[in-house]
Amino acid sequence: MSDLDRQISLLNKCQLIKESEVKDLCQKAREILIEESNVQRVDAPVTICGDIHGQFFDLQELFKVGGACPDTNYLFMGDFVDRGFYSVETFLLLLALKVRYPDRITLLRGNHESRQITQVYGFYDECLRKFGSVNVWRYCCEIFDYLSLSALIDDKVFCVHGGLSPAISTLDQIRTIDRKQEVPHDGAMCDLLWSDPDEIESWGVSPRGAGYLFGGDVVSMFVHANNLDLIARAHQLVMEGYKLMFKDTLVTVWSAPNYCYRCGNVASILEFNEHLGKNYKIFEAAPHENRSIPAKTPMPDYFL
Amino acid sequence: MEVDSVDETLFPIAVLIDELKHDDVSLRLNAIKRLSTIAVALGPQRTRDELIPFLDESIDDEDEVLLALAEELGNFVGYLGGAQHAHLLLPPLETLAAVEETTVRDKAVESLNKIVLVLDAKQIEEYYILLVKRLSSGDWFTSRSSSCSLYSNLYQVVSPANQEELRKSFTQLCTDDTPMVRRAAAANLSKLTKKFSKDHVLSDILVLFKNLAADDQDSVRLLTVDVLIAIAETFNPKENKTNILETLKNLSNDKSWRVRYMIADKFVQLAKAVGEEIIKEELISTFVNILRDNEAEVRTAACTQIPGFCSLMDQDSILNLILPCVKNLVTDNSQHVRASLATEISGLAPLLGKQHTIEHLLQLFLQLLKDESADVRLNIISKLDRVNAVIGIELLSQSLLPAIIELAEDKQWRVRLAIIENIPLLAGQLGKEFFDEKLGSLCMSWLGDPVFSIREAATTNLRKLTEVFGVEWSKQQILPKILLMSTNVNYLYRMTTVFALTTLAPVVNQQVLSEQIVPTLIQLSQDAIPNIRFNVCKSLELVIPLLNKFELGKILNEQVIPRLNTMVEDADGDVRFYSQKALMVNSGNEVAVA
Repeated sequence: MSDLDRQISLLNKCQLIKESEVKDLCQKAREILIEESNVQRVDAPVTICGDIHGQFFDLQELFKVGGACPDTNYLFMGDFVDRGFYSVETFLLLLALKVRYPDRITLLRGNHESRQITQVYGFYDECLRKFGSVNVWRYCCEIFDYLSLSALIDDKVFCVHGGLSPAISTLDQIRTIDRKQEVPHDGAMCDLLWSDPDEIESWGVSPRGAGYLFGGDVVSMFVHANNLDLIARAHQLVMEGYKLMFKDTLVTVWSAPNYCYRCGNVASILEFNEHLGKNYKIFEAAPHENRSIPAKTPMPDYFL
Repeated sequence: MEVDSVDETLFPIAVLIDELKHDDVSLRLNAIKRLSTIAVALGPQRTRDELIPFLDESIDDEDEVLLALAEELGNFVGYLGGAQHAHLLLPPLETLAAVEETTVRDKAVESLNKIVLVLDAKQIEEYYILLVKRLSSGDWFTSRSSSCSLYSNLYQVVSPANQEELRKSFTQLCTDDTPMVRRAAAANLSKLTKKFSKDHVLSDILVLFKNLAADDQDSVRLLTVDVLIAIAETFNPKENKTNILETLKNLSNDKSWRVRYMIADKFVQLAKAVGEEIIKEELISTFVNILRDNEAEVRTAACTQIPGFCSLMDQDSILNLILPCVKNLVTDNSQHVRASLATEISGLAPLLGKQHTIEHLLQLFLQLLKDESADVRLNIISKLDRVNAVIGIELLSQSLLPAIIELAEDKQWRVRLAIIENIPLLAGQLGKEFFDEKLGSLCMSWLGDPVFSIREAATTNLRKLTEVFGVEWSKQQILPKILLMSTNVNYLYRMTTVFALTTLAPVVNQQVLSEQIVPTLIQLSQDAIPNIRFNVCKSLELVIPLLNKFELGKILNEQVIPRLNTMVEDADGDVRFYSQKALMVNSGNEVAVA
C-alpha cells in the first residue's frame, strides 16, 4: 500500500498523520490545486455537499449514504473546518482524497477556509492542541489560498460557497480573479464566499458584515446571462437539509447534521446523475456508537 | 557522567538526561516516558543514588509530566537492582499521591498498589505502613482521599496487630469531614470487605457501611451499593436478613434518583448475593417499584435487568407481577426506556416458554416494532432470533412478517439495514417458496435504494441468499434482475450491477461466471462513466483468480486481458490505475503503484 493510501485509511479512522506527512500532503495538493480554474469544470455524475464544519463522524455518515470516494464523485462547497471537534481530521481526509483521486473529488473554498476566521472559530486551537504547534495550521492555510472559488457542472450548474457578487455578471469575470490570497474583506472574491440569497429585489446589505444579500431578479439575470439551470450554494444552516428558492433556480445544500452538535437539523447532499437528474438525500447525525469515545480522563491540557 | 569517554551509545542517554531538565515541557515529557532507558544506562547503583533523588526533587512540574512520572515509577522496581530497594520509590510516589490533580494521584496510587506486592515484611513495616498513615492523616483532603485506595492491598500482607490499626484508621476515613474522602472510602469499602474476615465484616464493616449508606451526600450513598453486594456475598441468607435488609430497602427508596439508579443498575447482582428467600419476600416488590420509578433513567437501568432478574423467580411471579409492568413500559413516555426494554424483552421468551410467549409477548413485540422511535424498532429487530428459538419461525413470520415488511421501507436507513441483516436468517427457515413469495421482490428493491449503504448491504444479502438457496436459485431469481439493471439509464443502477456481480462471483459456478458475469462486466467496461469503468477493473481483479480456479484460461486470455490492456490507455487516470492493478494480479506481481 502506498503512503497516501495508508494515510487515507488512518484518517478514515479519525486518527492523525504526522506533521511531516501533513507538510508533504499539502505540497502535493498545491501542485494539483494550482492547475484548477476559479470556475472548475466538473462532469456529472457528481454529488454535491455543503458545510461540514469538522463534524468528522457525520462526514463518515455522508459517505455511507452517498457512497465512498472514489466510487462516487464528490464536490464539496467549502467550510470543512471550525466549530466541530475534528476539523483537522476532516480537512486532511478530504485533502488526502483530493491528492489520491484528483478527478473524483472537488474542493471549493468556504469563508471559513481563511486565516482570520479559523483563529476565532476553532481550527487554529485544534491544530495547536493536536499537534503541539501551529505548523499544521499554517500548512493548511496556505492550501486554503489555492482552493478553487467555484465549479461548473456540465456547463449548467454553478456551485459556489456563498453566492453572487455585484462585481460579477459573467463566469468569465470570476475566471480573471487572482485567488491565491487570504479572503479579502470586500470585492468579488469576498462576495462569492460570503453572500446570501434573500427575498428582496436586487442587492442588500448583508448582516454578516461581508458579502451582500441578493434577490431573485439578480439570480434570474445571472442564470440567463450564463446559460445556467441552477445555482447551488451552501453557507447557511437549513433545518430541512436543503432549500430551493427563486422558482428552483437556486438551492442551498447543508451537510452538517445536528450542527454544532445542538441545532437538531437534518443534513442533505444533492446527487446529480449523468443526465443532471437531481436526487436530494437527507441524513441525520451519526449514532453515538459510531463515534469514537473521547478518553475518559483526558490528558491534562497545558495549552488551554 | 563521565563526559570524557565519548561513548556514542551513551550520547542519546546524555541527551535524555538533559531533557529531563529542559524548559520545553514536551521534551521533559518525552524524557520521562523513556525513564527506563536512562535507568538501564545508569545502572542500578546510580539509578538509586542519583536518578531517584533527582526525580524526588523535580516533582514540581506540569501535571502531564507528573502523570507520566507516576506511571513510570510503578514499573521501576526492576531497574533498582531488585525488590530489596523497591522502597526507594515510595517517597516520590507519596508526594505524587498528594498533588491536586486527580489523574496524577490515581496513577500514583495505582503504582503504589503494584509496588506493595513486591515489598518484604520489613520494608512494609518500616516504610509502607508509615506512608499510608501519613497520607491518611494528611492536612489536605487530597492525600487522605488517595490513601483510601491503598488499604485493601496492604491489609492482606500485614500482621494482625497492624490489621487492627488499619481498620481503625480506615474507620476514621469513613467519617472524614470532607465528602471527597468519604466518597473515596466508600468506593474502596467493597474491596476491603472481600479482604476482611467474616467476623470483622460483622464487627467493623457493617457499621461503616450503614453510616455511609445514610450519609447526607447522595454521591457517597450511591457508592455503597457495591458494598452492599460485597457484604451480602459474605453473609448467609439469614445474616443478610437481620443485618442488611433494612439498609437495602432504604437505598432502593432513597430520595435521590442517582442512588436508586445504582440499585436498579446492579439489581441482578444484588439479588444473586442476597439469596432466594429475600428475593421472594422483598426484592420482587422492590423491583416492581423501580420498574415504576418516577425517573426515566432509573426505569431505563431497571429494564436492562429484567431477563436476568426474572430468571431468578418462578414463572407465575413473572406472569403476575413483572409482566404487567412490562406492558406499561412498552408505552413509556421516554423513548430511552422503551429502547432499553426493546433490547431486553425478547430475553423473557425462553423464560416464559412457547405458549405464554405467543399469548403475552407477541403483541408487545408488534407494538414495539411500530414504535415511533427508530432506536426502539432497531433494538427489537436485532434480537428477534431469541424469539425465533422459542416459538419457531413459522409463527414468528406469520405474526411479525407484515410488520417486518413495513419496516423494510422505513424512512430511517439504519432500520432498513437491520432488517436486511436479518433476512438470511429468515430465509434459511422460511424455505425457498415462501421466501420468493413474501420477501423476494423486497430484496431486489433494496438494490435501488437511495442510500449507498443499503445497496451495499443488499448485494451482500444476495450473496448470503445464494449460499442458502444455491446457485440454481440465484440464476433464476436474482441474476436476470441484476443483469437488467446493467442497461439502466441511471449510472447508479449500472454501478449496483457491478457491485452485485463482484459480490456474487465467489459463490457462483463456472457456467454463471463465464456466461453471465464476465460478459456483463466486459460490456460495462465500455461505459461512458469512468466510475463504472474503474469499478469493473476492481471487479475483474477479483474475477481473474476465479477464472484461473475454474480453468477458464480461454476467457481470461481472449476477453478479459485484451479488454484490460485497452483500459490502461483510458483517458481517465483512475481507470488507468485500476486496470494496471488488475493486470498485475494476473501476472502474479505484487502491486507497486504509487
